[in-house]
Amino acid sequence: MLSPKAAHAVVQIRDSGSPWLRGYRCGHCHAVVLEETLCCRACGVRDAPSAVSLSEGGQLFTWAVVHRSFPGVVTPFVSAIVDLDDGLTLKGTLRCSEPGALHAGQAVEIVFDDAGGAKDAEGAPYIGFHFELAAGDEA
Amino acid sequence: MSDVYVVGADLIKFGRYPDRTPAQLGAQAALLALDDAGLTVHDLDVVYAASSYNAASMIGQQVLKQIGQTGIPCVNVSNACASGATAFREAYIGIKSGVYDIALAFGVEKNPKGLLGGPVGNGPSPEGLFGSGTTPAMFAEAGMVHASAYGTTLEQFAQVAVKNHHHATMNPKAMYQIETPLDVVLASEMIAWPLTKLMCSANVDGAAATILVSERKARELGLGRAVRIRGSALASDPYNPRNPALLDADSVTRMAVGKAYEMAGLGAEDLDLVELHDCFATAEILHYENLGLCGDGMAGALIDSGDTALGGRIPVNVSGGLLSKGHPIGATGVANIVELVMHLRGEAGARQVEGARIGLAHVLGFSTIAGVCGVHILEKV
Repeated sequence: MLSPKAAHAVVQIRDSGSPWLRGYRCGHCHAVVLEETLCCRACGVRDAPSAVSLSEGGQLFTWAVVHRSFPGVVTPFVSAIVDLDDGLTLKGTLRCSEPGALHAGQAVEIVFDDAGGAKDAEGAPYIGFHFELAAGDEA
Repeated sequence: MSDVYVVGADLIKFGRYPDRTPAQLGAQAALLALDDAGLTVHDLDVVYAASSYNAASMIGQQVLKQIGQTGIPCVNVSNACASGATAFREAYIGIKSGVYDIALAFGVEKNPKGLLGGPVGNGPSPEGLFGSGTTPAMFAEAGMVHASAYGTTLEQFAQVAVKNHHHATMNPKAMYQIETPLDVVLASEMIAWPLTKLMCSANVDGAAATILVSERKARELGLGRAVRIRGSALASDPYNPRNPALLDADSVTRMAVGKAYEMAGLGAEDLDLVELHDCFATAEILHYENLGLCGDGMAGALIDSGDTALGGRIPVNVSGGLLSKGHPIGATGVANIVELVMHLRGEAGARQVEGARIGLAHVLGFSTIAGVCGVHILEKV
């Protein structure tokens, strides 16, 4: 069985196979960003931000309901931008039954998934994620 | 240091040119601008050439091969939708510095068809798995921030498209000359809610060109139709905690326009017309506030008031804008400036903003990971 690969830069996979979310936090100004950088993007301090584990919960900031996408992509789907609870804003697909009832500030949680069943050239599976409305905050 | 003047400005009709190369389209615009200035290729000291997709193939030199290979320097610029404004600004700086007297700044694009935007990185395509990287989705998300904060309605966003398509009926060089009433805009294909197809920019080919000269040269040529550059600013997207997950059209625009107003010694209240980057109807609403045309949260009321339509207090996108004139990526930043020049000269025909003395041109360029904004302020001499 081939080890799974991360389908998104935020997804990391432990030796045990369980996924977690990784960001980088500046030790000076505490800004959190997705990608590793040489210096802090926010304050410019010349100490590289350090890898940290991110919250798997957050709040819906904004969204679009995508009806036309690139060829082969199944629509409609909700493209959502979520502020994670301890820093980092992340874009992802929000699975919900009533997109018309969404509103900013709703609690959402990260759900890890198989990235649509994608496999790499060797047949290794991927681990991705999507958002769902938190229990009690369904639209 | 000398002021810098625009003495030639023109564009080709925006549309689809399957049988023409980008160099042919750019050359056509360059010749129109030279003719407008009463100059020839032999008068040029330098070329600044913009094309988001063709700068790497030396589009400036390719255009000189079409119009005259005089050996002058060419600077090729790719800076997303701000490519044209970047080339124009570099020409301005080159003349302002005293190195050159006469510059051609042009932009040209043959746009890829279909949706722009797209995936980055390895692994499975992120589109649909991790939201959307299409430009309509990005500007729908940005518009919904405004809607959530201020209650801006779908109808208010749609009125931007009604207005700009109406303006384009008076512009023979616009891609479309079709009235689109509100019910038509709302009923057109939903692309990325709340944006329907008629609220998305027209994906076209096009080219636009300007001739910039020093004050000395402008006086020599005669100032009769010259337009003075009062402000020129370029900004890169500054840090914002939600950038780049959220397209931040606001911070970068506010940085650039603040610098341009400061340089010109002018403010939004001094403007007679604005050509702003209405790549999507939501964007025009955001930029009313970003450019200071109204207070924060008041953009919905501003479009409702009719003040931004031709004949209103501050007409916006009387060319038809990107929504209806069309948006050939690298040409747009120059085309917006050409539109201002036409009005400041009093040569804009049926869509003329009467008595226009000061105009502002704004463009915003974005990928899924970075942004840029260019702003220019022009004045009738």
